[in-house]
Amino acid sequence: MPEKITAYRFDYLDETLSQLNKEDCAIVAGGTDVMVLHKSGRGVPPKIPKPVVFIDHLSELKRVYQKDKDLHIGSCSTYGELLENPLIPIALKNAIKTIAAPAIRNRGTLGGNICNASPAGDTLPLLYVYNAKLLLRSVNGDRVVAISDFIQAPRRIGRNHNEILAEIILPSVLEEGSHVVFEKIGNRNADAIAKVSFAGYIRISNERIDDIRFAFGAVGPTMVRSIDIEKKLLGKPFPLSETDIDSIVADFDQIIRPIDDQRSTAVYRKTVALNLLRYFLNTSQYQPN
Amino acid sequence: MRLKDISTPVPKKDHKDKVSGQLPYISDVKVDNMVYGVLYRSPIAYGKIKSIYVPTLPEGYDVVGAEDIPGPNYVKIIKQDQPIFANEWVNYIGEPILMLVGKDLNTLYGLRDKVKVEFEEHQPIYTLDEAIDQISSASFVSYEFGKGLDIISAIEQDAHQIVEEEYTTGYQEHVYLEPQGMLAVYKDDEIVVHGSMQALYYIKNALLSALACGDDEVRVVQSPTGGGFGGKEEFPSMMACHVAIAANAVKKSVMLVFDRHEDMVVTTKRHPAKFKYRTALDKEGNILSMCVDVFLDGGANEGLSSVVLQRSLLNSAGVYNIPHFHAKGHVLKTNTVPNGAFRGFGAPQSFAGIESHMGHLSKYAQLDPLEYKRKYLVKQGDPTITKGNFRDPILMEEMIEDLLDASDYNKKKEEFQRFNQQNLRYKKGIGTSVFLHGCGFTGSGERDHIKATVKLVKSKDGKVLLKISNSDMGQGIYTTLSKIVAKELDLPLEQVSYPDPDTKEVPDSGPTVASRTTMIVGKLLERAAKKLKAEWKSGEEQEVFEHYVHREMIPWDEKTFTGDAYPAYSWGVNFVEVEVDTLTGIVKLEKVYGNYEVGKAIDDRIMKGQIDGGLAQGLAYGYLEKMTTKQGKIQQKSISDYGPPTSLDVVPIESKLFDNPYADGPSGAKGAGELTLIGGAPAVQSAIEDALQTSFQQIPVTAEVIMESLERKLVNRVD
Amino acid sequence: METDAPPTARLLDLIREEFGLIGTKEGCGEGECGACSIFVNNSLQNSCLIPIGAIAGAEIQTIEGLMETEQFKILDESYSECGGVQCGYCIPGMVMASAALLSENPNPTDAEIREGISGNLCRCTGYNMIVDAVELAAKKGEVVCQKK
Repeated sequence: MPEKITAYRFDYLDETLSQLNKEDCAIVAGGTDVMVLHKSGRGVPPKIPKPVVFIDHLSELKRVYQKDKDLHIGSCSTYGELLENPLIPIALKNAIKTIAAPAIRNRGTLGGNICNASPAGDTLPLLYVYNAKLLLRSVNGDRVVAISDFIQAPRRIGRNHNEILAEIILPSVLEEGSHVVFEKIGNRNADAIAKVSFAGYIRISNERIDDIRFAFGAVGPTMVRSIDIEKKLLGKPFPLSETDIDSIVADFDQIIRPIDDQRSTAVYRKTVALNLLRYFLNTSQYQPN
Repeated sequence: MRLKDISTPVPKKDHKDKVSGQLPYISDVKVDNMVYGVLYRSPIAYGKIKSIYVPTLPEGYDVVGAEDIPGPNYVKIIKQDQPIFANEWVNYIGEPILMLVGKDLNTLYGLRDKVKVEFEEHQPIYTLDEAIDQISSASFVSYEFGKGLDIISAIEQDAHQIVEEEYTTGYQEHVYLEPQGMLAVYKDDEIVVHGSMQALYYIKNALLSALACGDDEVRVVQSPTGGGFGGKEEFPSMMACHVAIAANAVKKSVMLVFDRHEDMVVTTKRHPAKFKYRTALDKEGNILSMCVDVFLDGGANEGLSSVVLQRSLLNSAGVYNIPHFHAKGHVLKTNTVPNGAFRGFGAPQSFAGIESHMGHLSKYAQLDPLEYKRKYLVKQGDPTITKGNFRDPILMEEMIEDLLDASDYNKKKEEFQRFNQQNLRYKKGIGTSVFLHGCGFTGSGERDHIKATVKLVKSKDGKVLLKISNSDMGQGIYTTLSKIVAKELDLPLEQVSYPDPDTKEVPDSGPTVASRTTMIVGKLLERAAKKLKAEWKSGEEQEVFEHYVHREMIPWDEKTFTGDAYPAYSWGVNFVEVEVDTLTGIVKLEKVYGNYEVGKAIDDRIMKGQIDGGLAQGLAYGYLEKMTTKQGKIQQKSISDYGPPTSLDVVPIESKLFDNPYADGPSGAKGAGELTLIGGAPAVQSAIEDALQTSFQQIPVTAEVIMESLERKLVNRVD
Repeated sequence: METDAPPTARLLDLIREEFGLIGTKEGCGEGECGACSIFVNNSLQNSCLIPIGAIAGAEIQTIEGLMETEQFKILDESYSECGGVQCGYCIPGMVMASAALLSENPNPTDAEIREGISGNLCRCTGYNMIVDAVELAAKKGEVVCQKK
């Protein structure tokens, strides 16, 4: 006999939240990660160990809007929807375009990518350099956390059982003058999981660095970012001197500790991560994008 | 439609049902009283089975294992070394031990999780290198041939220089889109096995042995086959045994279909290989002698490996006439998944190796790699390395000239040099490969083992049916072989058809392998059609048979490894342009060219499909597709981790065919399917080498390999 | 359509096992091959990754539904004329992806076509003749549109 499966699909977010308040559930947005993670074999449903709550139809979780200079993205916006949305920054769109392929992008959601907390999550390096904040909603109200605090380890996030990730907030992202790059290194040009990824953010005024941020994906259990290292560069004249660049690269050399796995090697990941960093720092001109 | 020039493309016979998805592949089939099977597989690499515990099974569920096999417990192929269900020793992770059958897959998966097998574990051999260290005990089979070692050693004494190189090639996984699947339909008087396959009579013979039954008690029917590439040559015999034995035991129809993960880790793959080259050069870099040692990782059983090794050795000198050539080869046993047939069958490894080695030798002569290779190209009338003869015209020079022209090779080399000086991050390169493929079975296989027979049946209303045991697995033989018959009979193509082969209806025209179908089977069909035309009686049912006749050349002797190993050869040249990102080691294909000589194409469009598809596989084998084992376990279990090319990884391919009709092929056609894969990897390797001005001793040249080499270069420069 | 299947059941299994529609194929079961591509509310998706509970009330179209359309006829012809079909196992999914692309972008470039079918693995053709087929279908589609 097939085992009994409990699943919920409410019309509104508040009903969903009150159910989550009563019961610990597996939240399924697009399902593109959950279905693979719990895949149980050909021809059978996945084995999901908890009751399931479907949320990706909830229109409350699909809104994308601007508030002051901040961008708010509903967690259940699919990648495909974000690619169509004029508010989404080009760099984020470029990152999204590297995710899987069209059919997955029509189903996978930004919130799902965050909550899946994969070390290789494609949007994560960029969200880190955007200083993304996450709005978590429960029957008790809202709370906002930094993405770097929310993602704790591979597949482990700081979500309470009664909460849903409702919005991703990109603070001041619509302010002009910054340059953002994103590079994903996979084994092929589509349907690839990152072996290394890099996001860099820089804002220059009067030939000095006003703000600079970097994040690396797939080279550690979570994204690698260091505010301390970034701080060393604030106010430095741009283009950077060779000594400054060497010292930053050396700093990251200390904290990037990747692993060998079926997709790549630790040595490769580290070499490429540092190469991409050096290339970013070496570039002598940045046009705001 | 009447056919004028055989090469003019026609709509494919199976197009309609495929494009609409309504053609039932084996997993689309349901029959009455059908149960599913799932296999319990060995979790260890090498050991002795001590005990097997199976949980209490619900009603309607059964366990099937070695004790249910009426005949001997091995999958009949060449050697008796692969048990159908392992019951004493297990030799690799994933080796089948027993099968659970029943209605519901979910229940079966749950039950399988509860099966427990106790082993006495033994020390496995995990890698080819470990096996080479224990070669006397680990060698399945070996061959040695060529110029005497005493002569070579005298030449080496006087040589200006001896160049030694080691070269390795990795696994390649077929990734046919349709996973393996087999269904045994149980009937009172017979068991009918349907499935995805390339070799109906291999399966039938395996079943006759396993079931120890009469010829009319078992029947094999090919289902539409969603890609094979060699992966469905010998492997399906094992699955067929599983379902047929189960059906026989539980008296129900049994379906076994693999999940992709299962398919990736337990089915045969292209043999990883190691080559050792030892070449004597004179002062000008001319080759005086060459010795090649070939080591193939056979995996846990011998399977078809001895034949793969033969083809590998036969191609170990590439398309070159090398003075004083000597070669030796071994297939070695490791406790890993057995390796087997894959498009090219040992040749792609050898060509990758020899093309790489020749490219590297060109530096000693200070010549462009292609120029150096051209000095040694075989010509009509030259002996083969086994004292056979290249007796037909060879168009390689023309084909190379044409590509030098089409690609603007010399200008491009200069252009790339300038680009590379200016661009610090990206480097461009152009590389080439020249290659051949021996058509049909190696050696005396056709004459001694296959002995193909074809049959044509004409109905009263003048329709003609092809009755042969060959599988259309996408390569288009429903269309091409029908064209050959229609052309010969001067009938409209619509009047000729080729039903799914069924051993009850068709004679053994051999397996669908070795680029033999068009040339060998096609020729037999052409002759049969000629005969039918001569005997044609309107309004009557007629049947004609035609049997393989061996054209004696220089007789092949497997023991001394001498004679004509193949009746004919197909030829090819590839040029590839790449751009390499030196920060990441990512390779981007920019342009790909291919010139081919396959006698005469039976259908230009189908041939182009073979070129594009084969070359995509061959290129990817050289830089993209990477499979490894760790402690006997395949590491890449998903398609994306393994990384076959997507539409974004391939570029348009400029290809051209050179006609050179072959007297013993239908309308002059030779083999084509495997040839197209062979040049990809060596061309892409040499293009990357050209871009980075370095050399590699392995494929795939992955981003990791490239970065390691660039880092090494950097360190050396600093030193 | 209604079903008693569990809400976590894969849409792919529902289509194949319960509705008996065989045009949607399983190649990998984890969204990496595209053989099971279908439309959910006109958007191209992988049916192996969709728990049916998530799409209650949605409109599903498989290759069997597409077959009734003019667009399919054009794609069918184009795939035939360009030799885009070999083993055929990826083809229904590939045709779905082609249709999705052309519906959104009637005149795609070579790069856009490659992007549009990038989630559909084909091991036989090396893609080029499929790309040609989609390009030809776009041309033929233009003619059809003009005729209307």
